[in-house]
Amino acid sequence: MARSETILALQHVYKYFDDFLALDDVSFTLDQGKFYSFLGPSGSGKTTILRIVSGLILADKGQVLFDGEDITNLPAEKRKVNTVFQNYALFPHLNVFDNVAFGLNLRKVPKSEIEDRVADILRVTRMSGFENRMISELSGGQQQRIAIARAIVNEPRLLLLDESLSALDQKLRQQMQYELRSLQQRLGITFLFVTHDQEEALAVSDEIIVMNDGKLQQSGSPVDIYDEPINHFVADFIGESNIVPGTMIQDFEVEFVGKRFECADAGMRPNEAVEVVLRPEDIEVTTQDQGKLVVQVDSQLFRGDHFEITSHDEDGNQWLIHTTNSVEDIEKVGLNFTPQALHVMRFGEEEEDFDARLSQYEEGDNTES
Amino acid sequence: MTTLNHKTRQWSYFSLYFIWIALFVIAPVALIIYQSFFGLDHQLTLANYKNYLSSAVYLKMTLNSFVYAFLITLITLVISYPTAYFLTKLKHRQLWILLIILPTWINLLLKAYAFIGIFSQTGAVNHFLTFMGIGPQQILFTNTSFVLVAAYIQIPFMILPIYNSLVDIDPAVIQASHDLGANNFQTLWRVIFPISINGVRSGVQAVFIPSLSLFMITRLIGGNRVITLGTAIEEHFLTTMNWGMGSTIGVILILIMFLTMTLTSGTRKAGTRKNHGKA
Amino acid sequence: MAKHKHWGGRLYLIFAFALLYTPILYLIYYSFSSGTNMSTFKGFTLSHYQTLFSDSRLIVILLDTLLIALLSSLVATIVGTMGALGIHTLKQRKLQNFILSLNNILMVSPDVIIGASFLILFTTLGIALGFGSVLASHIAFSIPIVVLLVLPRLKEMNGSMVDAARDLGANRWQILSKVILPYILPSIFSGFFMALTYSLDDFAVTFFVTGNGFATLSVEIYSRARQGINLEINALSAIMFIFSILLIVGYYFINQYTQSRRNKRQRGGAYLQ
Repeated sequence: MARSETILALQHVYKYFDDFLALDDVSFTLDQGKFYSFLGPSGSGKTTILRIVSGLILADKGQVLFDGEDITNLPAEKRKVNTVFQNYALFPHLNVFDNVAFGLNLRKVPKSEIEDRVADILRVTRMSGFENRMISELSGGQQQRIAIARAIVNEPRLLLLDESLSALDQKLRQQMQYELRSLQQRLGITFLFVTHDQEEALAVSDEIIVMNDGKLQQSGSPVDIYDEPINHFVADFIGESNIVPGTMIQDFEVEFVGKRFECADAGMRPNEAVEVVLRPEDIEVTTQDQGKLVVQVDSQLFRGDHFEITSHDEDGNQWLIHTTNSVEDIEKVGLNFTPQALHVMRFGEEEEDFDARLSQYEEGDNTES
Repeated sequence: MTTLNHKTRQWSYFSLYFIWIALFVIAPVALIIYQSFFGLDHQLTLANYKNYLSSAVYLKMTLNSFVYAFLITLITLVISYPTAYFLTKLKHRQLWILLIILPTWINLLLKAYAFIGIFSQTGAVNHFLTFMGIGPQQILFTNTSFVLVAAYIQIPFMILPIYNSLVDIDPAVIQASHDLGANNFQTLWRVIFPISINGVRSGVQAVFIPSLSLFMITRLIGGNRVITLGTAIEEHFLTTMNWGMGSTIGVILILIMFLTMTLTSGTRKAGTRKNHGKA
Repeated sequence: MAKHKHWGGRLYLIFAFALLYTPILYLIYYSFSSGTNMSTFKGFTLSHYQTLFSDSRLIVILLDTLLIALLSSLVATIVGTMGALGIHTLKQRKLQNFILSLNNILMVSPDVIIGASFLILFTTLGIALGFGSVLASHIAFSIPIVVLLVLPRLKEMNGSMVDAARDLGANRWQILSKVILPYILPSIFSGFFMALTYSLDDFAVTFFVTGNGFATLSVEIYSRARQGINLEINALSAIMFIFSILLIVGYYFINQYTQSRRNKRQRGGAYLQ
C-alpha cells in the first residue's frame, strides 16, 4: 500500500478525571485509509482517546490535529468524525430510516438526496428493506449494522468504533469482524477501533496501538506486535506467552534456567538482566535427551485444534506448550525451539529506542512504523 | 467556553423550577415558622409554644392524633398486606392493580360522604346490626367511625407500595427458599416479608403522615369536634383566625413528620412513595 | 393444597374489593332513589340527575374545576420537566439529592400544612384569594410529582444516545428536541396525567386558599355534605365514577400499548437473522 497522508495527529495529550491521570503524554499519528486498533485492558485510556478524538470530551493539555487543522477545542457536533458506540446508542423512538438519516437531516441535506444515500448505505451494510423497522425489532447484529450505517452515511473521514462488537456473541462477532474489515477496504475511510479483545485487534487491523495505564506501550502491525513485544505487559496481553527472567551474555546469546541459548536479539549491554519471551506454539516437544530444556509435565488439556500442556522446569518456571501431539501424563519431556523463536526484552526500553535497535540488528524483515 | 455554555444552559432549565422552590417550598416553610412566633396582637412572642406545651388540651390532642394515626395505619396495613400479596398471584395483574387505584380517583369527599349514609342511624350498618339483634347504635360522629373511614380511604395507598415491592421479588428466591426446606408460611415470614419491608415502610409513611393531619373526615364523620392536630390547625386558621397558634401547631406537625420519616426511612429507595395518587 | 390456598386468596381478594367498592356503589345506588336519604330506597327516579344538570351554580363550579386542573397540570408539567432536565444535568450527586429533597417536601407534607402555609404566603404577598391563588397552589403541589416521574426516565436514558446525537452533528437545542424530549415523552404524559389527578382530587389545600367567591367541586361537595344528605351529590358521584372509569380505561390502554412495545424490544434481542 502506498504511504498516504496523515489524517489525525495527537500531540502530547493529557487528560485528568479529577485526580486520576487517564492519558499521560499521548502522541500518535494516523494515516488516511487504514484500519487502526487501540488495544488495552479496561481503564487503560483507550476509550478516553476515542472520546477526545470525537470531541465528546476535550483534552486538558496537548493538541489534536485533524487534516493538519487544530481541532483541540472544537465541539463534537462540528467535527468530521463519526462514532459507532459501544451499545450502539440507536434512537429507540425513531425507525431504521430516521436513525440513519438523523445526521443528514440535521445538516439540511435535500430530501431526495437523503433517501438515495440512506438506501445506498443500507445496501452496503446489507440492511435494505429494514427502513421502516423500529430499533426494538432488530437483532443485535442488525442493530450493529444500523449503528455503522448511521455513522458512515455522513461520509466521515475517520470512523471511530468503541468496543463495537463486544455486545455480540462469539459467532456473530467473528462474522462482523470480516464485514468490518471488508467495509473499511471498500470505503477507504480510516477506522479507529477500540477493543480489549486482542484476537479481534490482531484479526482486523493494519496497525495496532497497545495501551496501558494511560500510556502508549507499542504500535505496529499485528505481526510485529505479536512477534516482537516491547515489554512484559505487551507480551503478556497479546497472545499467550512464557516469560522468564534471563541474562544477555552478549549479542545473539542469552542465558536462562542456567543454560545459554543462541537467539536473534542484539544491541544490549553484556550481562544485562532481561526477560525472554517464548510463545507456546513455538515450542516443540521431544524426548528428554534431544531437548534444549527439560520440563516436568503438570497437566494437559485438549483444545480441539491443539493440546495445551502446562509444565515446569527445575527452577520452578511455568511453561505453557501448544502441540498437536499429546504426551503421557506426569512425564519428563524435552523442549526444543529455534533461536528465532526467542524474543529478548530489556527492562524499561522506550519504543523509539526499541525500534532503532531492532532495525539496526535485525536482518531481513524490516519493520514498518 | 463550553463549560460556561453548559452552566448557562443548566440555569435556564432551572430558572422557573428554582422560582417554584423558592416561592412554594422554602418561603411557605419559613413563613409558617416565622408566623408561629406571633401572637394575636402581632407581637413577637414565644407565648404560642408556651401555651402549647403547658396546655393539657393540646398535649392530649397531640397524643390523640398519634393514637388515631397509629390505629388507622395498623388497620390499613392488616387489610392491605394480604391483599397486595394475593394480587401478585393473579393473572392480568395490571388490570387488578388499576381497580385498586380506581377508588383513589373518586373524590375523597364523596367517599366520606358515602359513609354519612352508611353509618347513619337508619343506614346500612345499623340495618345490619338491627337484623343481628344488637339494635341500632350511634356510629356516625364517633371516634371509631372517624378511624374506620380514614382507614378505608388510605387502603389503596398502602396496597400499592407493598404490591410493588412484592412483585419485584425474583421467583427464584422463593423457589430457593422451598428448596432449602421452608414451607409456605416460613417462606412468607422469613423471606417474602423481609424483602418487602421497604414497601411496608413506604406504605406506612404514605398513610401515617396524612392521618396525623386529616381534618375534613374528622369534621364530616367524627362529628364537628376538634380532636386532631389537623382540625386544630384548620380551626385556628379559618375560624378563630389565630394564625400564630395555628402555625405553632403546624411547626409541631412538621417536626413529628420528620421524626416519622426518620424512624421509617431505613434503607428505603427514594421516590417509591405515593406514586399513584395523593391522600 | 396449593389449590386450597388459591381459593383462600381469591376469597380474601373478593372481600378486599367488596370493601373498596361498596361505599361507592352504595352512593350510586341511592342516586336513583326517589327518597331524600340513603336509608331506604323509595323507587327509581332520574330526578336527581335532572336537578344536577339544571344546577347552573354546580356546572360553573365543575367547569372552573376542570379549567384549574388542565391549566395547573399544563404549567406544572412544563416547569417540572424543565426541573427534571436541570437536575439530570447536574454533575454532583450531593447537589442532586439536596434539590430532590427540597422537591419532595411538598410530596410528604400533610395537606393541612401546605394549605396553611400557602395561605400565609398569599396573604404576605398581598395576593387576593380566588381563582389565581387556587391555580398557583395547584401548580405548586403538582410540580414535584412531575419531576419524580420524569427524572427516572431521564436516568434510564442511555447517556451515549446524547453523545451519538452530538457525534452526528446535533446542537444543544436539536439534542433536546429530537432526542431527549421524544424519549421522555411517555413520562411527561404520565406526569401531566398525575398532576391532573392531584388537582381534581385536592380538597384541603384549595379549602385554605380559596376565597369566598370561588369554589372547586371538592369544596362545594364539602359544604353541601356538611349540611346533610342531598341525593344530588349522589348523582354527581355516579357521573364522576363513570368519568374515572373512562379515564382509567384510557390509561390502561396507553399503558398496554407502551408495554407491548417494550416487550417487542426484549423479544427483538432474542431472534437472530
